[in-house]
Amino acid sequence: MLKTIRYYAGMGIYYIKLSLLGWMEYPMNLAAWLGTNLLQFLVGFATIKFVVQEFGALNGWTYSQIAFLYGLAMLSHAFSIILFIQTWHIGGIMLAGELDRFLLRPMNVLFQFLFMDFNLIGLTDLLPGVIIFIYGCMQVRFSWTLYSTLAIMAVLFGATLIRGALFMATGSIAFWTKSNSDFSGINLNIMDRTTMYPLTMYPRIIQMIFTFVLPFGFISFFPASAFLGMDNGFSFPSWIIWFTPVVGIAVFTLSCLLFCAGLRKYDSAGS
Amino acid sequence: MPLIKVNDLVKEYTVIKKGKGLKGALKSLLHKEKEILRAVNHISFSIQHGEIVGYIGPNGAGKSTTVKMLSGILSPTSGEILIDGLSPQKDRKRVVQNLGVVFGQRSQLNWDLRLGESFELLKRIYRIDDRQYQENLAMMDAILEIHKFIHTPVRQLSLGQRMRGDLAAAMLHSPQVLFLDEPTIGLDVDGKQAIRKFVKEINRLKQTTVILTTHDLGDIQELCSRLIIISEGTIVEDGSLSDLIDRIAPYRILHVELYEEAELPIHPLAEKIRQDGTAAVYRFDKKKVTAAQLIEDLSCFCKMKDFRLEEARIEDIIRAAYHKKEKLEGV
Ligand SMILES: Nc1ncnc2c1ncn2[C@@H]1O[C@H](COP(=O)(O)OP(=O)(O)O)[C@@H](O)[C@H]1O
Ligand SMILES: [Mg+2]
Repeated sequence: MLKTIRYYAGMGIYYIKLSLLGWMEYPMNLAAWLGTNLLQFLVGFATIKFVVQEFGALNGWTYSQIAFLYGLAMLSHAFSIILFIQTWHIGGIMLAGELDRFLLRPMNVLFQFLFMDFNLIGLTDLLPGVIIFIYGCMQVRFSWTLYSTLAIMAVLFGATLIRGALFMATGSIAFWTKSNSDFSGINLNIMDRTTMYPLTMYPRIIQMIFTFVLPFGFISFFPASAFLGMDNGFSFPSWIIWFTPVVGIAVFTLSCLLFCAGLRKYDSAGS
Repeated sequence: MPLIKVNDLVKEYTVIKKGKGLKGALKSLLHKEKEILRAVNHISFSIQHGEIVGYIGPNGAGKSTTVKMLSGILSPTSGEILIDGLSPQKDRKRVVQNLGVVFGQRSQLNWDLRLGESFELLKRIYRIDDRQYQENLAMMDAILEIHKFIHTPVRQLSLGQRMRGDLAAAMLHSPQVLFLDEPTIGLDVDGKQAIRKFVKEINRLKQTTVILTTHDLGDIQELCSRLIIISEGTIVEDGSLSDLIDRIAPYRILHVELYEEAELPIHPLAEKIRQDGTAAVYRFDKKKVTAAQLIEDLSCFCKMKDFRLEEARIEDIIRAAYHKKEKLEGV
């Protein structure tokens, strides 16, 4: 048992090391991504500034508060790209026969899948995320105590898992359709709309859906409103923050189960 | 006890039929038409430790499907597989620890890594100890000359180099069993020769049991002590190549040329097919009479200028087996 844990921990670290070495061979790729993404996000950010100045505030949220929300959401977005980019194209990986390779190795397939790609392109989202989040924290005078630091870390952990779970669950559909159906565009769109703006600006039914069905409210909106003392639409108390890691672990486990169920249906890919 | 035991194996694929055109696409969206395709149909065989078995059959016969089930990638629809007493499906991790698999059509190496890095990764995955790793690498280098491209990224390797790399990768952990699915496909003469030499050597040195699918007659003749021939998912032959030749193509043809026209006799053990002037053709069963005997007998009647023996072509014999023909008539 202990040996198994040591083995998998060692392999996980080794996979990450290999990915990093791979990225170091092509540093220009990363630089180019960083350039375009930074621009993209600053443009998005400027748009919000424009909207907020034009209409006052979004549902009672000031520009500074939105910056905090937006930054928090971007951080978990970046982490989920670094850790889980492979869940965006499960169909493609399946059709390319990579799962066959995983099945030939004396190692857990889900583990190999989760560690197959440690994607530094995520850094290009992480950097703007950090800038905006720090800016937001300063604007709202966020107080960094031990409690709030731990809470932020727990939220980022859970939020990253919630995002990973959505991509993994929708990607696993490919096991049944046996096609390269790609949901990542839709997924990203929904995530952006539900994590970068206050949920309270949407109709009640939408708020319910993104709380109880697809729990994206826990990625950034519920934690941010708790930190900032804003209305979350459900009168959740401030310890709702701690629901994010719980929800994250729960939905990620569910999506892993779905992946494994799909794997059992897997019929290899052509000859 | 056989090392590999396959009992009444069946694999069915469910294929979703896609409709033609927009109307068909809409229709198939609402009502998916499914079709069951039986790729492997009640197959049984056993393979002993140390055998090299050619698993032969036309395209689509079900060879790759069988190999994938044997190696734990696919689950059988029904039937049983035991490799060294374990099921590749129920005990996947333990079985593959003792298995090397190479697909000629698709590399098992990581495209993003250098070949050597791929080996290092495999060393960790299979928990190969340092000594064994170095020994195996040295042995494989001696035959496959891997050192020439060990620092090249896998994506930049030529097909021949990639296949050598794939073979070495499959044997790094000293598996008892090696599955090769069309390992020589697309390779040049030297490439094929390297692969064959490697298979022979590891079989000799390590008694590795090999199952090999191929369309290459050279592979079959040089490597396989036993052939299992499948066609449309069922086994049609299981035996040695020479037995197959003896049974399907027992005949040889003797062409005789004379100095001057003379009527050649009918031989009791050979059939005279035709004679045109000085040229005559005999067909005989090689188990009943040797070519030397036949020539000697005929020389008593005439002066022979030249003769030529014709054998059935292996290709034709195997094709006859594919089509479940009992005998090749002509040659
Ligand atoms: N993943 C798959 N899904 C559906 N049908 C498949 C799949 N793989 C193979 N087949 C079909 O099964 C049959 C046997 O294929 P295969 O085992 O690849 O044959 P071979 O390797 O002998 O050429 C073929 O008719 C092929 O089209
Ligand atoms: Mg095949």
